[in-house]
Amino acid sequence: MLAMWRGEDGPVRIWEDRCPHRGMRLSFGFVRGDALRCIYHGWSYRTDGQCIEIPAHPELTPPKTICASSYPAESRYGIVWTNLERGGPAPFPDLGPDEGWLPVRSLYVNRPAGQVEAAVESFDFGAPSSIRLKNPSAILLGIGSQMEMLLAIQPVNADRTGLHAVVRGENASAARADLARRMQHLRAEIEAEREKK
Amino acid sequence: MTITLYDYTLSGSCYKVRLLLNFLGLSYDRRQMNFYPGRQHKSPEFLEINPLGQLPALQDGDLILRDAQAILCHLANKYDADGHWLPRDERFGDVMMWVMFAGGELMNSSAARLHDALGYKLDVHAARTNAHAAFRVLEDHMTAREIAGRKWIVGDTPTIADIASFPYIALSGEGGIGHEDYPALRNWMRDFRRLDRFHAMPGVPEFV
Ligand SMILES: N[C@@H](CCC(=O)N[C@@H](CS)C(=O)NCC(=O)O)C(=O)O
Ligand code: FES
Repeated sequence: MLAMWRGEDGPVRIWEDRCPHRGMRLSFGFVRGDALRCIYHGWSYRTDGQCIEIPAHPELTPPKTICASSYPAESRYGIVWTNLERGGPAPFPDLGPDEGWLPVRSLYVNRPAGQVEAAVESFDFGAPSSIRLKNPSAILLGIGSQMEMLLAIQPVNADRTGLHAVVRGENASAARADLARRMQHLRAEIEAEREKK
Repeated sequence: MTITLYDYTLSGSCYKVRLLLNFLGLSYDRRQMNFYPGRQHKSPEFLEINPLGQLPALQDGDLILRDAQAILCHLANKYDADGHWLPRDERFGDVMMWVMFAGGELMNSSAARLHDALGYKLDVHAARTNAHAAFRVLEDHMTAREIAGRKWIVGDTPTIADIASFPYIALSGEGGIGHEDYPALRNWMRDFRRLDRFHAMPGVPEFV
């Protein structure tokens, strides 16, 4: 599991959701300034992961080895991308400039990613649509002639998948509510299908 | 007139009532019940107050009420003259609809928590499945609200629909029901916790 957070200095950080002290979920913690503080014993971590404060030992400078474990994190098109392989870069598609994307919604489907992907490709989003681009973590759909919707596919585990959708183009702003509702129908449709092997 | 709340600190249902009493700035007598392990809510004395043997119950003058949702309605009706928390205009039906949802479908989250925390014998798998189904309904609603630029379940300000829904969503992790799938609910909970006069309970973080 992952903890995502943002300090005052800006960029999103993605860490393993595990405090180096006793393993408490860091996502239960809270952000103060540029540090994430664990809810359990209050150990505090800088944006680079380094532990900078141990409240029970205020006089101690925490050793360099106490460090939260991090993953790459890139914000692009209103979606945060990571790579669990750590070594590699975050696998977002190249869609040109980062501007103009509006959020539709995130939603979770109790089905494997492959099944979700297949259903997205053939779903009716309200206007004739075409697949403009596809990679293992995202599908870009042209919707009508004016809009593009990007759906990032997040395999949560073997039978749960997150879908994160953003849209751009003329009328994108007015279309958000309708697209969000259609995604609910998409979820219902996928979950009504028998699980495919 | 004194208000007495038959209360249990760890009860999410009692917390609903404490939240509204606090928001309204009402002082009240807090009758701490030994719910666990004492089962004082099943004692003959308490069954006189609430024959259903459940917390919370509230005494307000001569009136004795049970059920958190009914108590919220009563307090808002009597002490919130502006109708802030229970609007009497076209929002009324909508507020009541979500208040009933909080006392109904969302209580599956309470059941899962009673199972995990206090060892209640019940079908926890069904409780979790039904709780997730209910969370999804509110998640979809709050997503549409966010897109419309709104923060609360009904209208432009928080109401007893938000108060009644908050505890068993916030506490659901104690019944094995995570918040991972519900980004709109997480945003809404964050806003709720930022309200003036909000107070936490064990299991609900005070910090935002
Ligand atoms: N419908 C009631 C239910 C409250 C409820 O479930 N209370 C729990 C404590 S949190 C209880 O008293 N359970 C004991 C029982 O049902 O026997 C309400 O909303 O106030
Ligand atoms: S587990 Fe995080 S500070 Fe102890």
